[in-house]
Amino acid sequence: MTESVVDPGVDPGAQPVVEIIGLSKHFGAGVLAVDDLTFSVEQGQVVGLLGPNGAGKTTCLRMLLGLIHPSAGETRLFGEHVTPGSDQLRRLGALIESSAFVPHLSGTRNLRLWWEAGGGRWADADVDTALAIADLGNAVDRKVKTYSQGMRQRLGLARVLLGKPEILVLDEPTNGLDPGEMREVRQLVRRVAEAGSTVLFSSHVLAEVEQICTHAVVMDKGKLVAAGSVSDLIGTAGTVYVEVDDSEAARRVLEGLPSVQRVDDEMPGLAVTMDGGRRSDLVAALVAAGIAVETVTARRRLEDAFLGLVEGM
Amino acid sequence: MLTVAVLRTELVKSLRRTRTYVAFGILALIPIIMAVAINLNPPDARGEGRLLYLASQTGLLLPGFALRVTSAFMLVIVVALFGGDAIAGEASWGNLRYLLMRPVGRGRLVFSKFVVAVFCAWVAVLIVVITALVVGSIVFGTAAIGPPLSLLTGGQSNGDILYHLLVSTVYVSWSLTGVVAFSFMVSCMTDAPFGAIFAGVGLYFTSLILDAISSLGNIRYVLPTHYFDRWVDLLTRGEWSADMWRGVLLQLAYVLLFFLVGLWWFRRKDIKS
Repeated sequence: MTESVVDPGVDPGAQPVVEIIGLSKHFGAGVLAVDDLTFSVEQGQVVGLLGPNGAGKTTCLRMLLGLIHPSAGETRLFGEHVTPGSDQLRRLGALIESSAFVPHLSGTRNLRLWWEAGGGRWADADVDTALAIADLGNAVDRKVKTYSQGMRQRLGLARVLLGKPEILVLDEPTNGLDPGEMREVRQLVRRVAEAGSTVLFSSHVLAEVEQICTHAVVMDKGKLVAAGSVSDLIGTAGTVYVEVDDSEAARRVLEGLPSVQRVDDEMPGLAVTMDGGRRSDLVAALVAAGIAVETVTARRRLEDAFLGLVEGM
Repeated sequence: MLTVAVLRTELVKSLRRTRTYVAFGILALIPIIMAVAINLNPPDARGEGRLLYLASQTGLLLPGFALRVTSAFMLVIVVALFGGDAIAGEASWGNLRYLLMRPVGRGRLVFSKFVVAVFCAWVAVLIVVITALVVGSIVFGTAAIGPPLSLLTGGQSNGDILYHLLVSTVYVSWSLTGVVAFSFMVSCMTDAPFGAIFAGVGLYFTSLILDAISSLGNIRYVLPTHYFDRWVDLLTRGEWSADMWRGVLLQLAYVLLFFLVGLWWFRRKDIKS
């Protein structure tokens, strides 16, 4: 069954625009990069794909884009099975890892050749928007090999948007950018999403995902760990994160409190789901039991949730 | 129409690349150096090779000598460069994945890149011939070879020599297409362009070495380089050889084999670069 990241209340009958179904990828004999991964993305969502290095995020995206052949399972775009060179890819713009171009050609020439290689007429490309995003000034007519990493990345984003894509797939798009450029990319993704495009966004920067994404898919060791809205994953509803010197003793104390619904391990601390009550009551109970309280935060950040999910596996 | 679009973009990439012109420039320089050297130090009719001696007598045969010399080494490297860099070069830039995501079909991309590599290789051969013809005509003139030297050239008129030069140029170009195809095949399998280029050059020299081992017997007849030089008698004596047709057919088999293996491999390849 497909693990949808759509909000339960949002148009449940809608056709997912991206479907990853039972996807697996073996490299060589022993390396299982993606392991029976299933999730889907609905129209208009901004989905963050999270996972530690080697989790299989990029492999998953490359399979979605027809670059890597799945060992098992399939990927679908707009309901159609994706194969290398699939026509559905025209409706999608992708930036996988770093931007790359033909180094001995200018930025403009690169964009044009790339566009025309797909059979497009240059007059039909959204060149003005793309060049405004690239914001390279006269440098757009210089050879790409003279560009900085940030300039290449901006030109890469411009290329992605030439065809006004319905889906944006961005794999670590802020890699190599300075803080100002990273903010510009985030704003760009927001603008694209507000215009109705769906965004699948992979990043190591969890704060970035938290700021941009409506939903998230968490992967580890090639497997799906969790999927849902970012707020659900963070668990803002009455969740308190506690770090103490003796987790087991703290768990026994907290589970005995009437205001506590549930206590979960979330390394290195505990996630306490409360049903009313005050945080100060928790602290008082722990201190009274002789347990040293090191951290109490009323709301987890995505980073905490992510680490809890991944380390809890 | 899509194939034409990809062909055009691939051609632009190659023709706007400095390395293409450096390679062409070096190839154009070789006949000029040859003409100057032969003019300054004319070969002896008795002690030197026949083709070299004839090249010093008429500018129309300098292209033949230039073709013979360059096709033994320099042209091999240049055509292996065009074939080996075609796919692996794009992969090493990281741009291959963006072309495939555009999307450009893998078969269409392989076909277009191969055609452009072969085109550049043939242009390289043509540059050697045209430069040698122009420089040879200026330095040695174009007077018809009369007796007794005409005995060496089989009594060919200037028109015959030019026609046979055209045939020889096509034959050498086609023979080198096998080297292009092999480099291209390896280029489809690797992301390291230098590996693919060296593979093409390696194939040529390995085949030459094996061809020199007479104890290999009939195996030598299917080596890619076995019929490489069969055009020389046509140009210098006006003698057609059935071996030239064998050479054409052998290369056809190799070109098809290498291209199809490259295509098959690339269609199944995971693009990780």
